[in-house]
Amino acid sequence: MATTVQIFTIIGILCTPMISIAALVLTLAALNLSLGVRSLYVKLLGLVFDYATKIKQDKELSNDPDVSTDESSSVPSHTTKSTKTSAPPIVEKSDDDPIEITSQTPLISDSSRKIDDEDKSQELITTDQDQKVTRSSSQSDIQFKLGDIMHFTRQGLEAIVDDEVTKRFTSAEEMAVWNLLTRTQQQHEYFSARITLLWFLGFCVRYFLLFPFRLCLFILAILWMLGSAVFLKYFPKRDAKLRYGFYINIVLHRILSRVFSAIITYHNTEYRAKCGSICVANHTSPIDVIILSTDNSFSMIGQKHGGFFGMVQRTLSNTANHIWFERSETKDRHMVAEKMREHIKVENNLPILIFPEGTCINNTSVMMFKKGCFEITEAPIYPVAIKYDNRFGDAFWNSTKHDLFQYLILMMTSWAIVVDVYYLPPMTIEKDETSIDFARRVKAAIAKQGGFVDLEWDGGLKRALPKADFKAEEQRKFYEMLKTE
Amino acid sequence: MGSNASIMLQQEDLQNICQQTGFTAKQVQRLYSRFKTLDKRDCGFLTREDLLCIPEVNINPLGERLIDVIMDDYGENNKINFKQFIFLLAKFRRGRVKSSTTEFNTRDSKLRFLFDMYDRNHDMKIDREELLQVLKMMVGGNIHDDQIATIADHTIGELDSDGDKSITFEEFCKTLERIDADDKMSMKFLS
Repeated sequence: MATTVQIFTIIGILCTPMISIAALVLTLAALNLSLGVRSLYVKLLGLVFDYATKIKQDKELSNDPDVSTDESSSVPSHTTKSTKTSAPPIVEKSDDDPIEITSQTPLISDSSRKIDDEDKSQELITTDQDQKVTRSSSQSDIQFKLGDIMHFTRQGLEAIVDDEVTKRFTSAEEMAVWNLLTRTQQQHEYFSARITLLWFLGFCVRYFLLFPFRLCLFILAILWMLGSAVFLKYFPKRDAKLRYGFYINIVLHRILSRVFSAIITYHNTEYRAKCGSICVANHTSPIDVIILSTDNSFSMIGQKHGGFFGMVQRTLSNTANHIWFERSETKDRHMVAEKMREHIKVENNLPILIFPEGTCINNTSVMMFKKGCFEITEAPIYPVAIKYDNRFGDAFWNSTKHDLFQYLILMMTSWAIVVDVYYLPPMTIEKDETSIDFARRVKAAIAKQGGFVDLEWDGGLKRALPKADFKAEEQRKFYEMLKTE
Repeated sequence: MGSNASIMLQQEDLQNICQQTGFTAKQVQRLYSRFKTLDKRDCGFLTREDLLCIPEVNINPLGERLIDVIMDDYGENNKINFKQFIFLLAKFRRGRVKSSTTEFNTRDSKLRFLFDMYDRNHDMKIDREELLQVLKMMVGGNIHDDQIATIADHTIGELDSDGDKSITFEEFCKTLERIDADDKMSMKFLS
């Protein structure tokens, strides 16, 4: 019928822009080109933020003239992609002890010396038991003064005011430049009509313009993923998976990176991870995988999920060999290591991507690396440091505050994700080096490159309390201090 | 829109606190931000568990005792709100020479806090039992109980000048005279 034809023509006309944009994005993703739209957009945003911050500071100055004017000079210029320096500590830590005569470094604030190896601390406690028996006769060796509690009291108070660990599990502190997102402001204060207007405009742009667009791109990505999975499944050649899977994966992730308006800068690409190796990176968010996969394809390793995510896992398995575990198997470290070794032996298998911290940290520090993957000596480790620039969107996933779905919505309604990826030269375990020391060495390299604080604390402290061994260690150190007087 | 805290720091409260404690507005705001980070359930007060969650406090041998003092003496019903929190911290604010001391951060109040770390029954005396408890907490299993008892007796013997087998606040202050407790217990709050 004429009317049906008309209807179809109209639908066709409406869909054309969408389809053409989709085709454009696909082409760009496949060819690894960029129109430079995102960079321009980010520059423009930078200008807007600086303007907003200036208004805010002018208001602040007029309210409270005592505020020092050093603040205005600390506004980072939008042209420098300056990474936000971590806020200074709330309180200066004490580094001397009132009663010590030895040059003992502070017990608590120097957390990088923590012994986290269970065996080691166990050993220490048993030797002390032996010592205790022999010393019971010499009582006058221990000199205790009432003022000795100052040491622990002071450190306890300092830790309550500001400790190294708790602040790694929440979004990093307030920035010098406000980026017009209320979620980043600790307190919403009414500054001026202009800023509120700007904020409102920003809100509309983000939620009503950017978000639907990004959602469409997301759907495109899902379609691509499903389409390529079907394609490879029925493709006659056996090794097609390995040959084409690499490129298919990269294209998928490039589309996904546009969903979050990610602007990624790679450094030292000569150290890109090769087949048969293990790639190790610091973990800030689930998006890390997408960021890294725009430049290189990886085999992922993880637990089998159900539902939507499980379907994603199964689909991805069509394009590359990933290692998925049953829930019960994850505790079995030997099995995990075995599977990894098997994977590495197969030629042309993609490098395995692992986040040894085990949980998301807020990109200001690197926490303890679990030694599991460092025990696999057959494969070289390619460390990668991922550094996010918080100005356009905070990528950290606070899993205690938001679930994954909420987090993705937050990401899709942020301005952009600006990130620097630093590839580091490969490292292998040295002779006589334990896997724990090796893990520490790799962690130190990543921390140095990314400008992170290197902490020995376990990321698991997000949800669990420290082991009792640590307190016993503190008690032992205090005892040692008493003895030497 | 929407701030995520159910309580916000009002302007008048802020000014009040600054005046009384001697903190600057920025310092108070940073401490408020810290308070909110610790207050994970966003209920406007901190509990023992919230403070014990801090790993560095958790592994501190006197961590629990410190929290006891904070909760019992400065909070109420095992809760401490922000005002109480900041008045507590005001005691330890390092004041500059020209009398930026308020009634809070005097030497005396710091010594009193330390005394309270020992004296939990608030009878203004540190008796043998209280001293034993603190010693045990600090050294753990590294010293035999007998030896700890000996140390406690020895310490009391040395410092008890009026023969009541316990240490009063005056005797306590006297023994800390040589050590600059005021300086050691002062914290420099940065903004």
